[in-house]
Amino acid sequence: MHSKQPKNDWQTAGMARRAKGWLAGSVTLGGMAAVLFVLHLTLLAGVIDDLTFKGKPFAAEQHTILLLLACLGGSLFLQWLADMAGTEAGLRIAAHVRRDALRHLFRAGPVGCTTLPAGRILTTLTEGVDALEPYFAQYIPRAAMMVVLPLLILAMVLHLDGWSFVILACTGPLIPVFMALVGYSAQSIMDRQWMQLVVLGSSFLDSLRGLSTLRLLGQTEASISRMAAATDAHRASTLSVMKIAFLTSAVLEFFSSLSIALVAVVFGARLLSGTVDFRSAFLVLLLAPEYFMPLRAFSASYHARQNATAAAARLADLFTLPEMTQPENQPRLTHTRNHPIAHLMCSDLTAGYPGQAPAFQALSCTLSRGSLTVITGESGAGKTTFLRLVLGFLQPSSGQITAYDTTGAPLEVWQSRTAWVPQRPVMTMGSIADTLRLAKPNATDAELHAAAQQADALEFIEALPQGFATSVGERGACLSGGQIKRLALARALLRNPDILCLDEPTSDLDPASALRVAHAIRRCSANRIVLVATHHADMVALADQCLHISDGHGEPFSAPQRACA
Amino acid sequence: MNLLTVSGLFTRALCWPVFFGLALACVAALANFGLLFLSGWLLAGAACAGAAGLAAQQAFNMILPATGVRFFATLRIATRYLERLVTHDASLRLTGRLRVWVYTKLAPQAPAGLTDKRGGDLLSRFVSDTDRVGQSYTETFIPFARAILCGLAFALISGFFLKSAGLILALGLLVCTLPVPMSVGLLSAPCLRALTTQRGTFQAELADTLAGLGEYLTLGASEARIETLDSHQKTLQATERHLAALESGARSLMTFIGLLTTLYVVMLAVRAFHLGALSAPKIPMLALGCLAAFDVTQPLPAACQAFTRARIAAERLQTSCNAAPCVPAPTAPAPALHHPLDLIVRDISLRYPNTQHRVLEHASFTIRQGERVALVGASGIGKSSLISLLSRFYPYQGGEITLGGQDLRHFSTEDLAKTISVAAQDFHLFNGTIRDTLQLANPNADDTQMAEVLRTVQLEDFVQHAPHGLDTLIGDEGLALSGGQARRLVLAQALLRNTPWLILDEPTEGLDQKTEYALMHGLISARPDATILCITHRRTLIPFMDRTLTLAGGQICPAEEVP
Repeated sequence: MHSKQPKNDWQTAGMARRAKGWLAGSVTLGGMAAVLFVLHLTLLAGVIDDLTFKGKPFAAEQHTILLLLACLGGSLFLQWLADMAGTEAGLRIAAHVRRDALRHLFRAGPVGCTTLPAGRILTTLTEGVDALEPYFAQYIPRAAMMVVLPLLILAMVLHLDGWSFVILACTGPLIPVFMALVGYSAQSIMDRQWMQLVVLGSSFLDSLRGLSTLRLLGQTEASISRMAAATDAHRASTLSVMKIAFLTSAVLEFFSSLSIALVAVVFGARLLSGTVDFRSAFLVLLLAPEYFMPLRAFSASYHARQNATAAAARLADLFTLPEMTQPENQPRLTHTRNHPIAHLMCSDLTAGYPGQAPAFQALSCTLSRGSLTVITGESGAGKTTFLRLVLGFLQPSSGQITAYDTTGAPLEVWQSRTAWVPQRPVMTMGSIADTLRLAKPNATDAELHAAAQQADALEFIEALPQGFATSVGERGACLSGGQIKRLALARALLRNPDILCLDEPTSDLDPASALRVAHAIRRCSANRIVLVATHHADMVALADQCLHISDGHGEPFSAPQRACA
Repeated sequence: MNLLTVSGLFTRALCWPVFFGLALACVAALANFGLLFLSGWLLAGAACAGAAGLAAQQAFNMILPATGVRFFATLRIATRYLERLVTHDASLRLTGRLRVWVYTKLAPQAPAGLTDKRGGDLLSRFVSDTDRVGQSYTETFIPFARAILCGLAFALISGFFLKSAGLILALGLLVCTLPVPMSVGLLSAPCLRALTTQRGTFQAELADTLAGLGEYLTLGASEARIETLDSHQKTLQATERHLAALESGARSLMTFIGLLTTLYVVMLAVRAFHLGALSAPKIPMLALGCLAAFDVTQPLPAACQAFTRARIAAERLQTSCNAAPCVPAPTAPAPALHHPLDLIVRDISLRYPNTQHRVLEHASFTIRQGERVALVGASGIGKSSLISLLSRFYPYQGGEITLGGQDLRHFSTEDLAKTISVAAQDFHLFNGTIRDTLQLANPNADDTQMAEVLRTVQLEDFVQHAPHGLDTLIGDEGLALSGGQARRLVLAQALLRNTPWLILDEPTEGLDQKTEYALMHGLISARPDATILCITHRRTLIPFMDRTLTLAGGQICPAEEVP
């Protein structure tokens, strides 16, 4: 993690560029608000001086008071706008990053994404990206304000009183120095206890994740007391870090309190001797806390930076997922389909996943248009891996797949003509027509009908109360397993693919629906290459060719045989 | 009352850190007030004395107020530091208590009650929810209690010098403590609730997208999908924007009210001064005190929003914790098992809650003590469900299961664990060392026993060559291990428990044939008398077993009888 630090910094800087306008707007508005704020304090000091020492009646100050209220009102309004601009910058950047990350995940493909646990990808995309928001919304504008407002006040104080200027000018820069010193030692303590803090801090989640395991081990009771001890230990070690970490704000507090006290005492002595006037003394006293305010706001948002850095590191893991090697600039839909694919030749294919033995070696076979091929073999033998190769989600470590069109010419780009029906097809909220149009947003009703007919789905769709407009429910809850499979098949057919891959289309189905799905698949193979990974005997019986994978080797049989079931 | 769970935690043990934290917070706020109040008086007093001539100058005692200013400054430094420390400590204590309480309530519900049907990470939500409720102490309780107590004190102090000024200050502070933050809270509450549902929807959509990544790609729908998610994100962000605007707006409004109050107080003070009821230096003093007083109201709008957030979190926790476990805990203590420890399953059906599909339908089989039985069947057909059933994670519908002559319904998961050890596929490995992992299974195991089981599962070489031997860390969820090593470590845990029954789920997945053979051979010679039920799809394991059962179509029958 630590080695990635510079890259992350570069990354967050890169992110900031995306909402440059909003960030700049936030800082500018904040600066204008600061000017008005200082002006309002000046007027306030004037009013109080006039009323107390110049003996003016309250009524005489009416105009100044109105101006004063207008200044503060304006300042607060500008500050509100600055805050909103900052929030907007944070939200925009988060939205951008999330979109880019999703796009990258799509480029990495389903196989590439499995190198990270699905839960971690999800939390990175939700909480991780959310953690970037306060960094851009608060940390960056406040960091900028930390320069603007103190300089403004310093200039003002220089104009008012030399001694106070010296006090503020000396204490101001000392604060970051001491804060850095304390922060540095806090960091080193934190680094020393890092492992312990992480382990203890995650013990609650770890215990929850492992609750079933603990119950199976008969350790439920023991784990409760262990967790109580762990939370207590976590508190103790967190506190030992906080003791030092809070010193950074104590340093800030020290200097700000000290300089207020110093200003008061130093002015007091000179006021007594009559060498300075009350108005400037009072104004400096009003300005002094504001001088340190941005620093305090900044140090309060310091954890925003830490969270954002941690999030950036997790996002970096996500962005470094390798992309699928498939040429990415090819549009998947707009392919000129003069000649359909006639053959798919797989020669000497070896494939597997990093860090594991190859799923199969030297597999060769030919798949032809108009034929239904089933892939059989034990689970884990490599059926899905073979489908992934054909779909282009995975590249073979050696060997190749070549596609030839009906004129016999090899095709360079053919994976755009494949379609896939996975074991658990995606069902989005919406109507049946919406679900189908996922494949082809501009499909006509007639096209939907035709595809549904081909997939043997038309009958049940038309029997539904609202036909194609019927809602599928959450994750297809309103449909049966067989209906979902046939709907997914219809959806795949809507793109009229040359190659259709199906993964266990009949699993989890009762025998009658399984048979129905199998026959629908059989019918689809009339003018395309159909490839089915299956265990199901009925499906195998309908096949023209069977590819049996076992012990890392594949053997194609030309006729369906009971033996490969 | 939804925060009952939290207030129930204000027990005696937590009482003193909680109220000590509040006391420190109040002293810090008072010190801040005192610092500016006294500084104002010091400057104005010195200025008055300076203007009044030499006698007055000499009569003016600088030492006392100067010491007072320094005292308040020091007090502010010390108390603000201690306050942060003590309140964070109390908040961590609260969170800790709450977590233990939640954990105790959730334990009997695992795993059935802890799976989120919408794909969200339910468990991480427990972490953030307990955090949020625990933090409501520092985020809501302290700011409000401090604003009320200190506000009263500020008004009293000002009122001591000028009664009307005290009243006006009290009024101004009251407006900033109650109506303004409360209306922010009221206006934010529906937004925050909407935000919770919107977050849930977004997360579920995101989880669906990740699960269906491949299909979206082949459908050419990836861009459309990103657009859909983007529109969800836009809704979410509109709500967030609204909340930020409310909070920031309220803070501005309160600063403005603060200035109005100050000006009013100044007007009253000037009038009193002209009437001779107040000395001149007290005008700036009251003005500065008034400005400083409003510091305590600044965090209140955010505190109101934090309160609603904590309330939503507490409601969710309460719902989850009060849910009835899907296998009710047995009312009587577990009966003693009779020997032989035979497992007899008669006519049982299994359907997971909220599903229609029956995984098992009138299934029957018997396993005698000492038998070694393989259970085979296609993937996804429900082989692993049998583990859930035999460890009482899920209830079965109809039929009867007996173990050692006793009805399985009389046992809890923990009772059965004394007899049956399970090496499941979805086992969780805890962050810790190899030794911790093994001792979790058997706290009394010594190094010799551990070395023995590690030899049996073919991990001896690995542990010997690992940098710290048994004390090597296995990482979060065992990520520092390979899949095969993790699985064998789980197997070692099961073996170390030395129970008469062993249920193994794909024990040799991901191993080469040589290791697989050595492992199975070692396992059987180490535990020759154990009853073993081995769930597998690997034919290579079958020779190690006495007989084979097949699960197909919801039925379990001997291999040779499969239709």
